[in-house]
Amino acid sequence: MEKKGSDAIIERFRHITENTPEYARSLKAKGRLLAGYMCTHVPEEILYAAGIVPLRILTSHESQAMTRGYIHETYCSFSHDCAYQGLQGNYDYLDLVVTSSSCIHMGEAFNVWVRFAGFQDRSYLMQYPHIIHTKPAGGFMTESFAQFKEFVEKLTKKPVTDNDLEDAIKVYNHNRRLLKRLWEFLRHDKPPITGPEVAAATLASQVMDKQECNGMLKQLIERLEAAPGKATLAVRLMVTGGACDDLGIFDLMEQLSYDASLIFIDSCTAARYFWFEVPEGRPDKLMALAEGYIGKIPCPAKDTVPGTGEKKRFRFVQQFIEDFKPDGVVFLYQRFCSPQPMDVVALKPIVDKLGIPSTELELDTTVQKAHIRAQLDALVEVIKGVTP
Amino acid sequence: MAYNITTWGEVKNYQNNCYRNYLYASDGLRCMGSTWSPLAPLKGLGEDIHVIGGEPHSASAAGTVPAECREDIIAAETGGLGFHSCSYLKLFVGEVIRDKMAITDKTIKDGYPRPDVIWTTHLCSQHSKWYQEVSRRLGGVPMYAIDMIGGGNAEKDPKIVNYVSKQIEAGIEWLQRVTGREFSDELFVKAVRNEIKVLVLWGNICALNMHSPAPLDERRLIALFPPAVVDRTTDESVRIYETLLKEVKHMVDTGESVAPDQRFRIVYFGIAHTYGHPEMARILRDVGAEIVASVYTFGTCGNFKGIVNGKWTWEPIDPAWVDELDLSTRRKAITELAKIVLGWPTWQGVRSYWALEEMAKAMVTEYRADGLLLAPSRSCETDFRNGYIAMQRIFKNQIPTVEYDTDQVDVRKMDLPGAQRKTELFVHLMEAHKKGGA
Amino acid sequence: MNNEKFLAGLDAGHINTKAIIMKGREILGYAAVPTACDPAAAARAALNDALRSAGISGGALNGIVATGIFRDAIKAPALDPAASVPEYVADAKGAFFLNGSSRTVIDIGGNVHKAMSYDQNGDLLDVIQNDKCADGLGIFYTSMAKLLGVSEEELSRLALKSTKSIAVAIQCALSAESDAIDLMCQGADAADIADAVTRFMVERVASMSTCMPLTKEIVVAGGLARSQAVINHLQRLIKREVSVVSLPEYVGAIGAVVSYGGGK
Repeated sequence: MEKKGSDAIIERFRHITENTPEYARSLKAKGRLLAGYMCTHVPEEILYAAGIVPLRILTSHESQAMTRGYIHETYCSFSHDCAYQGLQGNYDYLDLVVTSSSCIHMGEAFNVWVRFAGFQDRSYLMQYPHIIHTKPAGGFMTESFAQFKEFVEKLTKKPVTDNDLEDAIKVYNHNRRLLKRLWEFLRHDKPPITGPEVAAATLASQVMDKQECNGMLKQLIERLEAAPGKATLAVRLMVTGGACDDLGIFDLMEQLSYDASLIFIDSCTAARYFWFEVPEGRPDKLMALAEGYIGKIPCPAKDTVPGTGEKKRFRFVQQFIEDFKPDGVVFLYQRFCSPQPMDVVALKPIVDKLGIPSTELELDTTVQKAHIRAQLDALVEVIKGVTP
Repeated sequence: MAYNITTWGEVKNYQNNCYRNYLYASDGLRCMGSTWSPLAPLKGLGEDIHVIGGEPHSASAAGTVPAECREDIIAAETGGLGFHSCSYLKLFVGEVIRDKMAITDKTIKDGYPRPDVIWTTHLCSQHSKWYQEVSRRLGGVPMYAIDMIGGGNAEKDPKIVNYVSKQIEAGIEWLQRVTGREFSDELFVKAVRNEIKVLVLWGNICALNMHSPAPLDERRLIALFPPAVVDRTTDESVRIYETLLKEVKHMVDTGESVAPDQRFRIVYFGIAHTYGHPEMARILRDVGAEIVASVYTFGTCGNFKGIVNGKWTWEPIDPAWVDELDLSTRRKAITELAKIVLGWPTWQGVRSYWALEEMAKAMVTEYRADGLLLAPSRSCETDFRNGYIAMQRIFKNQIPTVEYDTDQVDVRKMDLPGAQRKTELFVHLMEAHKKGGA
Repeated sequence: MNNEKFLAGLDAGHINTKAIIMKGREILGYAAVPTACDPAAAARAALNDALRSAGISGGALNGIVATGIFRDAIKAPALDPAASVPEYVADAKGAFFLNGSSRTVIDIGGNVHKAMSYDQNGDLLDVIQNDKCADGLGIFYTSMAKLLGVSEEELSRLALKSTKSIAVAIQCALSAESDAIDLMCQGADAADIADAVTRFMVERVASMSTCMPLTKEIVVAGGLARSQAVINHLQRLIKREVSVVSLPEYVGAIGAVVSYGGGK
């Protein structure tokens, strides 16, 4: 039976995330220039303003060892998988690949693309502050963005005007607001959409043309606002951690032995991607972009406040806990990730103090569903006070 | 006959004194942090500043009291740090957890000496977390981290130099506020000049290994570079390296070496892993194979000409240049300091695969290497693992190249039998290459 | 003149110790015995078996040459090897002896795997050997066969019957085995699991091998070379045709003899 209404839109989002090359090629067929980006610190607005569609490079979930001949074993599977994609030619349709200096592992994936996968002449590494909470960081970012804009103008052979940038900022801010609105549904007891469905839409937005995505999101939200809630949310689980583009993990959280619902994801493939806005209407658009991107929920790899060594990200996590009221927290990170597990060491005591049970899930390209289910079931049992 | 370095005693004393001063200080300021950050700003706070750097401390403590340090690492893991985390970091945090500190004179003191400030940098995605964790466990120690950015040719990029300089400037203001001390530009400038001088002098000493026989081997280089990593801002550290440079120059003039039987010259990319390294060194030494150049000992706390006309060179900088530097204002001193640290080979290589590749190529050529030994450290994210697997692809058809897995200070992560077999294999390849078989 | 002499080659590996008896270019007999953590005893047993299969007595031997990872462990009296050769040298010589047009051998052993390139005389040019995480592929294969309730030969045939590509973890044999067991418990088809574990092993070998420039003529050695599934995956991954030498398990032992001047 053909799905209708919001289900059809969600299904479309899901299809796009599972078939990113097919979608990208459809854009290419329309004559669009495509730029792949490996880290959410790339200012997509500059690309978009130049008429280039930024598409995030995600993993293929293919268990492979060939990249061990390029990158050391003990780099995260996300970076290995992204490197593999490049070596396999899966992204050969891209006109450009961009990253910003962020974590070392994704940097190596980028290096593999540049050195060994034929992207030497169509790549750009943006210098980006590693500590974003300093005054000089904003100025540095603005200068970096200016250099990037120049590069993009050379590539497209046309200038990127302030109006182009302002328009792009508006489109992207609109996308951010729409995604925020979507996640806000999950604050309620009877949301008309599930967490995994919202996760799918969020992931899709990172691999779609933003205008098209905004159109679909707007329609979806209108339908959801008119729709009755699905079910009373059972045990509410919040995820916080690193990149995870495996929607199966989020599906699993709602297929446990007990009723549980995924109600929020703080990761760079979810909330950290969009939970900020770039100031609009500013005379200096690049500075506005810098201000906006500094205001993102910090990636652990960039998060240390000078003077105190505080992690600003934790303020966001605590706010999300207050707003979304999870019953349990799942710390999620890729195996061999460096900054995420280090943050957990400091974040877990805070979550403990708030009286919220938690568990840690270490991801790899392959995941043993039974193992993860058992771990999550155990968390729910602790939450519910279930005794055997 | 093998030459004995006479300056060695002073080097060791200096290292021990630095650590003792930190450990037992009853007055002054204890400053903890990364030795990859510029140290001179700390010395602007007075003449009673005691410095400890996380990386050299972890490395030297592990070599001095290995059993103790294994306990530190395990304590850190029990405290929540992951198996895959940097073992230097775990050792250091483990000491905080166990409330003990061990130093190079074999002292293991109960009661972890709390620092007054943490002054560090953001070297990699783990390093950024290192002192946050230390500060947190000590109940919150004021902490300032400088984002050095790094990358190829970074010291020639005005945008980067300006960014780093601004952070140092703001850092100095912060140091004054937090310590309540007035910053002395006079002391600061003196420390800057000393810091730059030591880095240049060490580069000069390393560059002498281009001669044949190389006067120093890796074992001696590791033993001689502590003053440069522990505290390179003092008059004493400058004097030690001026003396050492004279001594090593004399060795070159007379054709002497600490390891005179050098049949094979090796370039080594890897950290000086404390455990297992002596075994590898023995296998190499038995056939007269010596590491004459290494990114670790040369490129951390050493400066060279770097990228000249688009190509890397390990040629040294004339020390006289340092005396002529215009450090007449705080800003000028900060700028020169930023440039010299950005000019470290390791700061360049950590963020730039092409810079790492270029400096490896230059090292192999300029030091006339017979083999390239790559030893990526499993828990490291900097120049001591990053890019090494790819480097095999580049060098394997040019020069005998072997890679083995290791770790800085965690013996559990080392594949000692595998590393031994690969070192033997490496020797065999170099022999075959020399005979014309390869 | 070694072509008139009876020479024995001993290759002491982690899983099996192999012995070969040669006279000139002729291979007279061979045997393999589980090392079972006692390389010296295994070497003696393998040698005796090989002598029996060659129809000659130990006294007729003019020399024993040792190779393999535990070559030093079999230097003891009673065996008293005349020479000892590193396994990578022996592998190159042995592969060249068996296939004179080859220039690279990929040897997948019980614990260690390596690739060697050599010149027109079988003299070693370059070697690459696996890192720690990739240790134990042969051991893993044996273990997986037991788990699936088949022999190692049957495991290979099973893998060729796979119709669906499934994946196991590739970090190390331990995580691969753990995933394989999980899949078995979930009812995945045995043929698909067999193919998945084969693919995991070959990917570790292939990713290592491609770090060095691969020559045109590549041969494969080691017991796992007998698995057509292994060969198929290897060719696909390194994008080269490969051939399997005869007596792939004995390449090292043969090479030891050749290194000592035999095989002429």
